Formats: sequence, structure tokens, C-alpha cells
Amino acid sequence: MPRLSTLPQIQRNMLVTRAVERNEGSPRATLARPLAESTLAIVTSAGIHCRGDAPFGREDPGYRVIPSDAAAADLLQSHSSLAFDKTAFIRDINVVFPIDRLAELVAEGRVGGIGPRHYSVMGALPDMTELRDATAPELARRLVDDAVDVVLLTPT
Amino acid sequence: MTVGISLIREHTEMLKPPRALWVPFPFGLPLGHPDDATEQRAVVDAVLALLDEPDVPVLRDFAGDLAPGETGTSIQAGAVEAAPVVLDLADEVTTMRRYWEQWTDRSGRTAVGVSAVPPVKFRGVVRFLEAFVKGEQRVLPEQGETPLPLFIRYCADDLRVLYLEARLVMRPDESQADTQRWFWGETTLGSFLRTLRDVMNDSEDELMRSCAYGIAR
Repeated sequence: MPRLSTLPQIQRNMLVTRAVERNEGSPRATLARPLAESTLAIVTSAGIHCRGDAPFGREDPGYRVIPSDAAAADLLQSHSSLAFDKTAFIRDINVVFPIDRLAELVAEGRVGGIGPRHYSVMGALPDMTELRDATAPELARRLVDDAVDVVLLTPT
Repeated sequence: MTVGISLIREHTEMLKPPRALWVPFPFGLPLGHPDDATEQRAVVDAVLALLDEPDVPVLRDFAGDLAPGETGTSIQAGAVEAAPVVLDLADEVTTMRRYWEQWTDRSGRTAVGVSAVPPVKFRGVVRFLEAFVKGEQRVLPEQGETPLPLFIRYCADDLRVLYLEARLVMRPDESQADTQRWFWGETTLGSFLRTLRDVMNDSEDELMRSCAYGIAR
């Protein structure tokens, strides 16, 4: 994405005024085992979900579960934003949800395995409170229960 | 541990996630361009390499820039002059569906489906939306318990995605920006969605007005 300073004024204003957490530092964690022995899962804010699941609603702070054996043909995107062009997702789901690239890494032995589930939320929320205080902690608990070591976060 | 991809570097600098890779790609394709496995793999390799960084936060830049002619965001309706409406929308949708069927045969996949209305019934979706614009009531059983504003958006999304998939058959090498210009500037659906947005914006229902923003801008 171009830096904000290169965007049209109207879009720059929209992004600058969006609520963003301001943190003083970062949580530090250490990988318990090498990546080649670790289990990885994706958490995406691309508003993806399985066909048949409830689509994301307007300003929906909830999450959807995506079984890691779901095929690209099983997945839809109901993100409400028009800021991005869905054509890329239509052509190749890996542009936001790199399941084929991760499968290659597992086959090559560079990643130990993929967790039983991936998770999806919808970004571009004007109010992050419920996502931060309820959805994110629940997702963290689920990822621990899934014995996931590494989480790859992807936006859209 | 988490590693993540950043699209808006300035936001990531404030948020300070432990490990992030800023990428220069437009919204909608943070892992790189479609059907470019080499580029996508380079992004995945670069972001996973951040796991080895001893100090956090770390925010690295992925090498590269926007492709020539590429914009950071999608072309919006407001940037394109609408086509004069010369076709019946339902007839246009039927024409597009024939191309769309080629897309699904070829790719084995479709991103149409959020409304749960099968494309074979999309002429009915058009009549449903046209009735709403005229202030009339028409019901589709797939709406179920979904609030009307959201169901309208899902229907509009499905129609738009069907057109985009049809266009990938008609013009497989067209740039994304030109596809959006075609959609908003040359199709009856592009014109109709502007009208639908305007009607939703005139509603007294707050959810209806907020959903209008997801129909056309």
C-alpha cells in the first residue's frame, strides 16, 4: 500500500482519523521449537468465511472458523469495504489467504504443520472495542487449544 | 507467536505489533499479485523470517512498489462516468451469467454466494432490487432473518462478483483498474448500483444508510 502521504486527500483523511491503538511497546514471545517443527495457522481480517456460514454484517466484530482442509472453492469474502478490489481474491485466494503457499512450506519441511483451523475477522471496523476485548482473546484461547505455535496475520 | 503483514505502515508504527512486514501492494492483495506464486512465496518467506528477529517490535519493508498503472485502492463509481442505461438489467445479468458459467467451468471456483441465492435465480434478484428502488416490496426466501439492508448488500455483492468473474472470461489480461472502469462506466449494473445507493442513502433507517456505503461510492 502506498504511504498515506501519497494517497488522495479524502482517503488519507479517512485513514488518519480511523481509530488505531497506540502502544508503547510490543509483547515479547519466543518460539518454543523451530519453525520446521511448529504448527501454523492464519488469522485474517479479510472477511473470509465458508460458503454457508453467516456473511459478515455491517461493522461485525465477530469471527468465523475456517477448517484448514477447506478448499478455495469453499470460501467466500463478505467484507463490506469497497476500498479494495475483489478481482484479485476472485482470481487467486492466496492474495489474502495463502493456503497453497503454506502447503508448499509444509511439503518442503520448512513448517511443521498447519493447525486444524484458521480464523477470519472483518477489518475496517470504526470501533475496535469488541474485537480487541472479546473476539481477540477468544481467538487466542482457541489457537492455544489448537496447539498452534505461529499465527500469520493477514489484512486485505 | 505472531507475525503479520502491514498495508498501512503508519498505522503499524502506532500499533507496534511484535513482527510485521510492510508490503507495497494495493489493498486486497497483501500477499502479492494473483497467480504469481513466486511473488507470494517471497512475501511469505520474508514475513516468516521475522520469527528469527531477537528484538521486538520489528517492522521491515518488502522490496518493490506498485506495478505501473496500479493504484493503491480500487477505482470507485465516483471516479467513472456512468453509462447511459440502454439494456434491461435482468437481460444484462443473463448475458453475464453465460460468461460466468465459463469462468466456473474453467476455474472450478466462484466467489458468488454471500446472498445464498443461486445465480440461476439472479433475474429474480434484479426484480427484487428494482422493486426496492421503486418503493415496492418483494420478498426473496433466501433473505430469511437477515435484515433487509444487509441482504440488499449481499445481493449487490453477488451481482458485482458475477460480473467480475464474467469479465475475467471476456478480458483475461485486463488490468484490475480497467475492469473496475468497465464495471462502473459501461454496465447497466454499475449505473443501477448508483441509483440503489442513492435510494438507500435517502432512507430513515440508519443501517440502510450505512450499508449504502458498501454498494457504490
